[in-house]
Amino acid sequence: MTEPGSRRSRRGPADARTVDALHEDLDALWAEAGFVPDSDRMAFTLAVVEAAGNVVVHAVPAAEEPIELAVELAADPQRLEARIYEIGAAPAHVDLTGPMAQEHHESGRGLALIQALVSRVVFERHGDTNVWKLCRECGRDEA
Amino acid sequence: MQFTVEQKPRYAHITGTGRLNMVGAPRLREVVSKVVDEGSNHVVIDLGGTEFMDSSGLGALIGCLKLARQAGGDLRIANVRPQVRMVLELTSMHRVLNPYDTADAAFADD
Repeated sequence: MTEPGSRRSRRGPADARTVDALHEDLDALWAEAGFVPDSDRMAFTLAVVEAAGNVVVHAVPAAEEPIELAVELAADPQRLEARIYEIGAAPAHVDLTGPMAQEHHESGRGLALIQALVSRVVFERHGDTNVWKLCRECGRDEA
Repeated sequence: MQFTVEQKPRYAHITGTGRLNMVGAPRLREVVSKVVDEGSNHVVIDLGGTEFMDSSGLGALIGCLKLARQAGGDLRIANVRPQVRMVLELTSMHRVLNPYDTADAAFADD
C-alpha cells in the first residue's frame, strides 16, 4: 500500500552549523506533511535536534578524519522517523535510560528528552557508523 | 539568533529572536555576561521571538540564572512560546525558571 509521505535528508560536518541547518529540513518536511499535528511536529523536531546535537558534542572520531553527521527524515500519517548517522565515529555506548539532570546542572538533559519525546529510540553500530533510530507514533499524546 | 538589550528602570530587558540552540546558546551567555558585568543583576529574558529552544539553550538559561544570582540579583523569563514551555515542563525546569506572561510582570512584585 502506498501512503502519502515526505522525506528530507542532510549530510555535513558534525558541527553546530549542520544542526542549525537541520531546522530548515524539518521546516520543509512539515510544510509538505500538513497531516502531522503540531504537537507531534514540535516533539519530533526537538528529539531530532537533541540527537544531532549529541553527535556534535559527544561523538569521538575513529581515525584522523572528522566525523560527518547525516540525517534522514520521513513523515507519514502514522509515524515520524529519523535516522541520524555518526559517520566515522568510534563505537560508543549511549545510555538511553538515564535520568534527567538535576535542576542546577547546565547539561545532561538531551537523552532524557529524547526518551520522553519519541515512541522508540535505538542506538546501534553499522560498519564505521553509529546510528540513532528515532520513531514517534503520530497522535500518541491524544491516545 | 538576534538579541537586543534595553535597560529598564528595574531590570535589563533582553529579547532573543530565533532559535536558542547550539548556535544561539553561547551568544546568550555572552550577552547576559556583559549585561551583568556592566552592573545589571536583575535580568529578564523575553522569549516572545524565540521559536525553538533545545537542551543547550536551556543550559545557557540556567548558566545565565547563576550569573545573575551570583551578582546578587535574579534572572527571569517571560513571554514564552509553546515549544519553549514544552521544554521547561518536560525537564521540570519551569519550577526554577517560571515563565512570566510579560517582561514587566517578572519583577513587578519585588
